[in-house]
Amino acid sequence: MDMSLFLVQLLNGVQYGLLLFLIASGLTLVFGVMGILNLAHGSMYMIGAYLVYYFASATDSFLLAVIIACVIAMIIGIIIERFLIIHLYNRDHLDQVLLTVGLIFIFNAAQSFIWGNDPLGVEVPELLSSSIQLTDIVEYPVYRLFLSVLCIGIALAMYYVINNTKLGMMIRAGESNREMVENLGVDISKLFTIVFAVGVTLSALAGIVSAPIVSLVPGMGERVLISCFVVVVIGGMGSIKGAFVAALLVGIVDTFASVLLPGMSSMTIYLLMALILIFKPQGLFKS
Amino acid sequence: MTDNILEVHGIHTLYGESHILHGVSFEIKKGQTVSIMGRNGMGKSTTLKSILGIVKPRSGSVLYKGQDIDALPTWKRMRNDIAYVPEGRGMFHNLTVKEHLQMAARKNSRGEEHWTYEQVLDVFPRLQERLTNKGTQLSGGEQQMLAIGRALLTNPDLLILDEATEGLAPLIRKEIWDVIRKIKATGVSTIIVDKNIKVLHELCEQHILIVKGKVQFSGDSQALDANREFIESSLAV
Repeated sequence: MDMSLFLVQLLNGVQYGLLLFLIASGLTLVFGVMGILNLAHGSMYMIGAYLVYYFASATDSFLLAVIIACVIAMIIGIIIERFLIIHLYNRDHLDQVLLTVGLIFIFNAAQSFIWGNDPLGVEVPELLSSSIQLTDIVEYPVYRLFLSVLCIGIALAMYYVINNTKLGMMIRAGESNREMVENLGVDISKLFTIVFAVGVTLSALAGIVSAPIVSLVPGMGERVLISCFVVVVIGGMGSIKGAFVAALLVGIVDTFASVLLPGMSSMTIYLLMALILIFKPQGLFKS
Repeated sequence: MTDNILEVHGIHTLYGESHILHGVSFEIKKGQTVSIMGRNGMGKSTTLKSILGIVKPRSGSVLYKGQDIDALPTWKRMRNDIAYVPEGRGMFHNLTVKEHLQMAARKNSRGEEHWTYEQVLDVFPRLQERLTNKGTQLSGGEQQMLAIGRALLTNPDLLILDEATEGLAPLIRKEIWDVIRKIKATGVSTIIVDKNIKVLHELCEQHILIVKGKVQFSGDSQALDANREFIESSLAV
């Protein structure tokens, strides 16, 4: 592999990893704070992508479509938490799995009913549709760079909120001792609604912004969900920092594997996970 | 308006099938410091949890500042300026000492701020040295101080302390009692669950003895003296 190809793959790997982080952070946050295992998390990725497809063609504005899709995703998140997840807080993970698997079927049926099963695509917004010259012969699409910058921005914002704001302290405290947070006069059910809605919106946002670079197909949510579980397990269940490191690791390994070992690329991230779990059974950053 | 900050009327509380509280009733006047005594397993903590709605009494009612609060969830009761320092102290393993105080700090429901972050650190200089440590890295005494400091930062009208001195070294206990005296001087109504009759006698205006889920004695320190033998025998293990 020459240097320029290496660079492009590295950028692709980082970009994919950052996108995985966006999805996995919501999954791990909801699990860490609320103890909820949401298997329908990947479905929100899919819903985000389809929503932005729909509104981009309806409004002719990608930005507007992104905003509308995010708002709808957040409303879906609030509804799911208020009416369904709320009954699961005192139940075990198996009940949560049953309910959220059911949600996957519902989302998939809705997707198929509304948009059909043919692959769909979203155009890259014009402003970001150019490429930049990396070396004499290699170009790189601006949109992918934009994706990486956006994901880094969101990661930094999350880091700030969780570590430096009162809301973030309450979220972390809820992770440690839920009952005591209530004893301090915090409305934990509202806190949970916020965390869940933000978590699924992050997943939807990942689907929204990756819509222009992937094709929209049925089952895209489940595929990404499995990669996200690999990320969350490698990073340590509930750890945002772990999810960040693991997502980059998985993104880069997966991207290079598909170039260097095309025949076995689909198993490399599981090998990576197995290898890491041998040395760190709790994941990299289990608190 | 009533003079009582808290009235507990005939509460019965059950954990599953086991009947823990059998019609507990008492009243606490504004500004009073009140002790609740009793052997382990007699229902002291359950009484506190019933007042706070952490466990829901089967029957009976709790009036706080003259209002029936039975329908309110725990966090709303706390928002009405009740602070609770639970047995076990309720530390957060992933928050620093400073963050414990910051996340809890708020003005009370009337917008008043009697306790500030700086004042709490003045009262507990030991915490000042451990601001960047995690809650669970502290010694038992320091954890207790942090739990009390955190409670004070919510600027409560009613402070509830469950076994605040249990398991602590004598010198640390003394420090905690000194702080409770300071809190008392600010006029906050306080409920103290403890077993140290000597200190409680001096500190509290009213004493409540709970035996097997019933109030077996209630009275001031004079009445406590008159019934000392009975009370001590009820506390002896």
